[in-house]
This record gives sequence, C-alpha cells and structure tokens, in this order.
Amino acid sequence: MADLKIQELGKTYPGGVTAVSDVNIDIADGEFIVLVGPSGCGKSTILRMIAGLETITTGELQIEGRRVNNLEPGERDIAMVFQNYALYPHMSVRKNMEYGLKNEGLPKAQIAERIAEASRTLRLEDYLDRKPRQLSGGQRQRVAMGRAIVRDPKVFLFDEPLSNLDAKLRTQLRAELKALHNRLGATFIYVTHDQVEAMSLADRIVIMNHGVVEQIGTPMDLYLRPASRFVADFIGTPAMNMFEGKLSADGGSVLVDGGHTFGLNTPVNGSAGTQVVIGIRPEHLHRGDGHDIRLPLTVGFVEQLGADTVVHGTLNGGSEALSVRFSGVQMPETGSIIELGCAAENLHMFDVVTGRRLG
Amino acid sequence: MQKRVVFRSRLLPYLLVLPQIAITVIFFWPSYQAIESSFFIEDAFGFSREWVALDNYTELFDDPGYLKSFRTTLIFGVSVAFLAMSISLGLAVAANRVVKAATGYRTLLIWPYAVAPALAGVIWYFLMNPSLGIVSYWLKGVGVDWNHYLNGDQALLLVIVAAAWKQVSYNFLFFLAGLQSIPKSMLEAAAIDRAGPVRRFWTIVFPLLTPTTFFLLVVNLVYAFFDTFALIHATTEGGPVDATSVLVFRVYNTGFIGQDYGSSAAQSVILMGLVIAMTFVQFRYVERKVQY
Repeated sequence: MADLKIQELGKTYPGGVTAVSDVNIDIADGEFIVLVGPSGCGKSTILRMIAGLETITTGELQIEGRRVNNLEPGERDIAMVFQNYALYPHMSVRKNMEYGLKNEGLPKAQIAERIAEASRTLRLEDYLDRKPRQLSGGQRQRVAMGRAIVRDPKVFLFDEPLSNLDAKLRTQLRAELKALHNRLGATFIYVTHDQVEAMSLADRIVIMNHGVVEQIGTPMDLYLRPASRFVADFIGTPAMNMFEGKLSADGGSVLVDGGHTFGLNTPVNGSAGTQVVIGIRPEHLHRGDGHDIRLPLTVGFVEQLGADTVVHGTLNGGSEALSVRFSGVQMPETGSIIELGCAAENLHMFDVVTGRRLG
Repeated sequence: MQKRVVFRSRLLPYLLVLPQIAITVIFFWPSYQAIESSFFIEDAFGFSREWVALDNYTELFDDPGYLKSFRTTLIFGVSVAFLAMSISLGLAVAANRVVKAATGYRTLLIWPYAVAPALAGVIWYFLMNPSLGIVSYWLKGVGVDWNHYLNGDQALLLVIVAAAWKQVSYNFLFFLAGLQSIPKSMLEAAAIDRAGPVRRFWTIVFPLLTPTTFFLLVVNLVYAFFDTFALIHATTEGGPVDATSVLVFRVYNTGFIGQDYGSSAAQSVILMGLVIAMTFVQFRYVERKVQY
C-alpha cells in the first residue's frame, strides 16, 4: 500500500523512437488508476517502467517517497498480472503462488497461511494441485491474481488482464476485481484499451494518445468535460458527434461547414471565422423542437440494442454524420427526418488545430 | 466413422506406397543380413560358413576386451553428451541475449556442424599431436605432458572433446529454438517474483527446456554410440591398446581388420538392439512424459 509519484517520465528506445514522454501522475495510496488509450499509445510502456521491466530514460518514479528508477523489478515491492497470465506451466497452482514467497525467504508456515487465504478469496482451493494447462481461462486469470495477492505488495499492476477472456467472463471478473480492490485497499494500476473497463473500474483514468497524457480525471470528469477532442471521441459509445465549423463574429454561434448554425450557451472568445469542432454526445440528443440547439436527423440505419436504440444518419441530409441514442425500442424509417435537440450545456467545443477544449 | 477412399485405378495405391516399400527393403535387408551372419562362423574369403547358433554372442560376453569396450562406450557416450549439451546450452543462453549482429553470431556457431566427421578428427589430431600440435605445445607450457599415443585416458579425452565439439552446433540450434519459445512475460513475472537471473534459469528456463534436453540427450547418445566411427578412425584408430575402441569401432575392427564376420555381425546386432531401445524410449517419453 503506497503512493506513487511519476514525474516527467519518458521512454526513448535506442534508435530514437519515443514511446512515452513527459508523463506526470500523482497516485494516492489505495487508488485505482486505469491507464487507457488505443494500442501503441504508450500505456503498457508506463506500466512496464513502473514494474522495472523497461528502463526509464527520463524523469523520476517514486514509490512511497523512494526513488525506484534503478531498482530491479523484484526490489520494488510490486506485483503484476500479465495479459497472457504468464503462469509457470511446469508448476502447480500452489507452486505458482509459492514461487515469489519462497524467493523472499518467507517461513513455510506463513507461506501456507497466505496461500490458504488467497485461494479462499479467489475460490481456487480445489485447484491448488492442478497445472495451469488443466484450468480454464478464467481460472488461470484468478491464479495470476492469486500470485500477486499472496505477495502482499505495495502496488498491483495489471496489464490488460481481462482481454483474453470472453465478454461475459470479463464482466464478471471486472466486478470481482473491483471488490478485490475494495477489500485489499491497495494501490492498483491497470492498463486497458477498453473504455468501458476503464470507466467502470477506475477511481481516476489516465487517458493517453501517442505517448502523451491527454487527460487525468475521474470517469465522470472525462465524460462530462473531456479536455480534448481525442478524449471526447474515445470515451462513450456510440462516439460523440463531431462537427467542424467556424465561429461567428460575436462568438455566440458556430456555423457548421454543412450550413447548419449552432447557438452557443456562453459566448467564447475568438476571432470570427476561427475553425472549431462542436461535439454532442448521442445520448444528450432528444426528440422535439423546444431545445436550445436543434438538429434535424435524416435517418440512415438503425441499431436495435434492446434497451436502447441507436439511430445513425446525417445532419439535415447533408454530409455530416449524426447519431442519436434513444432509450427503449424505436423504429424510425430510413430516410425520414427526426427533429432533435439538446441543451446548450451539453455542447462541447474544441480547437480544430490543437484539439484542446474551448470554453 | 473413418472415411474410406476408393481409388479408381487398382495400380495407383500400390504406386503410392512403393517408396515406403523401397525404403523398408533398403533398410531391413542389411539388418536381416547382419542378424543372419551373426549365427555363422565364416572364413575370411567367404567360401564357407558354419552354423554356430549363439556362439558368437556368448563368446562376446566372455571376452573381457568386449566388456571393456562396452564400458569405454558408456563413458565416451555420457561424457560426449554431457559436454556437448552443457557447452551448447551455455552458448545458446549467451546467444539468446545478443542483440547486435545476432544472426552472424549464430551462423558462426553453427559452422562446426558443416565439418565432415573425419575432417573434424584430423583437425583435432593436428591440434593435439604430441610433436607438432599447438594445443599440446601450450599444455606442455602449463606443465601437462600430453601424449595420447601412450596415455589411454588422454586419448579417450581427445576423442570425447573432438566428438563433443562436432555436436555442439546441432545442440545449440535446438537449445536456442527452445529458449526462444519461452514466453518473455514468464521470465518477467519471475523477475517481479524476486528471482535473480541464476534462479530464473534453474527454476523456470531449465525446466521449460526439459523436452528439448531430453530429445537432445537421446540424439547425442545415439550420435556418440554410433556416429563417431570416422572421427575415432581419423584420430586414435581405437588405440592406444583399445582405450578408445568404442563398440562401433570394434565392429569395424573385428570385421574388416580381424575378418571375423560372424562376431562383427553379432556386435552389429547388439548395437542395433541398443538403437531400437533408445529410439523406443525417445518416442515413448519425449512425447508423453517429459512435458509440463
């Protein structure tokens, strides 16, 4: 159980490829941090640098106030769960869990005690003498977690631990993982490319793109006030509707390239004609014409998801794509026009060049 | 339900199994000949032979020379296998860590395999020759009086080293492939589990290499027992005083030098039995028992 301080962390490979640069994260004791982003964004590299499996080329990493940049992985008092579990195939489940403890030189009685406790928590008691290949994917995953738990480390690291499992098992293990975090109260750092996993697990999310941090915040921060166009697009399904347009002279409205005008709730500073991006989440659009902002949707195709209906189409029959999410079953006809609108407070605006949030 | 294929032509199926039949005949005919001759005593020119049943065999096991050769072969085989495998494992572990010019390095390590056995023998013969060999000269420098013409133990050591050197490349290839098939994340997990490099090797890497090691053990023993004739013939010719006369060499010596075809055939049959036994062990255990 410990806090982490990541300062100006960077990784440049020999040959000049920069995987990660200028990462600053303060992680509190007992926090559940999720690093999320598309593949190749550097999230795993950060995790591996924390673990000590990858050297740190710039910046500093502190665990519990101690600089650990140059410590061996085994000396950092961390445990890691790998995507492919990395169980030792020639050892039984019990041996797999014992391995780290034996290396630490823990007394036998204490080892047995810890394994008994962990296997009870993870419901692995019946499998202790089995080899990994005799276990199902979900069981292997639990063994991998058990191997981490018995170590009683300061920090738990997870590298996409659920991505090799099927959807149903993933949901189940997600809940178990969250419960585990609550029970252990330890610091968790979790890497995933799945935004749903990130949203449901994290206390705070670190969202990354191209080796830099786009935003750090609670799931709701990211959802309600995305700091950049990238974050807005990455968080939420279906993805946020985006329209490029020009700011009007008084800063009070935006003329979308397709010819539609959006009135803004609060005028923004900026010269007339500045290119901006307008974003509206599909679930923030509602039927009717009494809203601050009005958007006619020409229906293209309809996704029936049971609880929800997602309608995809175009803005006013133009070239801009527009999606809306209705709750319940709806059956709009292709080609028909639905009058939609949303509250001005649900409008997001981003700089077209930098992608940063405006207003 | 097994699917049955019906050929349209009656000839085609026979044609298809013909290569297999040919191979079977080519392999089995000499073996049969060896077994047959082992029950006869034949004169040196092949004019006459006499049925002696198992006399050739019983004579062999009463012959202290033959029993000594058995012992020599065992020492030779085990030493060659151990030496060749441990050196190549070390080299493979080292090569696996090399990042720069890895291919070039690996290619160089494979070269000795391309050297013909007799040639390998000659190379070592010259290196170790007591009067003009460079290595024996160095040895003299450090106080070792090397003369494998007179010292039987030194002669045995010479053929062991030469035979092992020849086999290192082959083992190296398999060990390297085995090392590369171990997932990196497993070693990383062990590193996080506080295992140092040496402990990681003995508790994770080496056990995971067991199938490779066992396969190579059988291959190396078979090599040492049966494939080293040319090498021994080129270096020590079985001497001094049979010190390096392993079983295969003795087969040749008895048959072609001593012209005792019956006894030579009986020795061949015993060797054949050994090969069959070892192959059997390999198939049975490599496939089933030695895994994780």
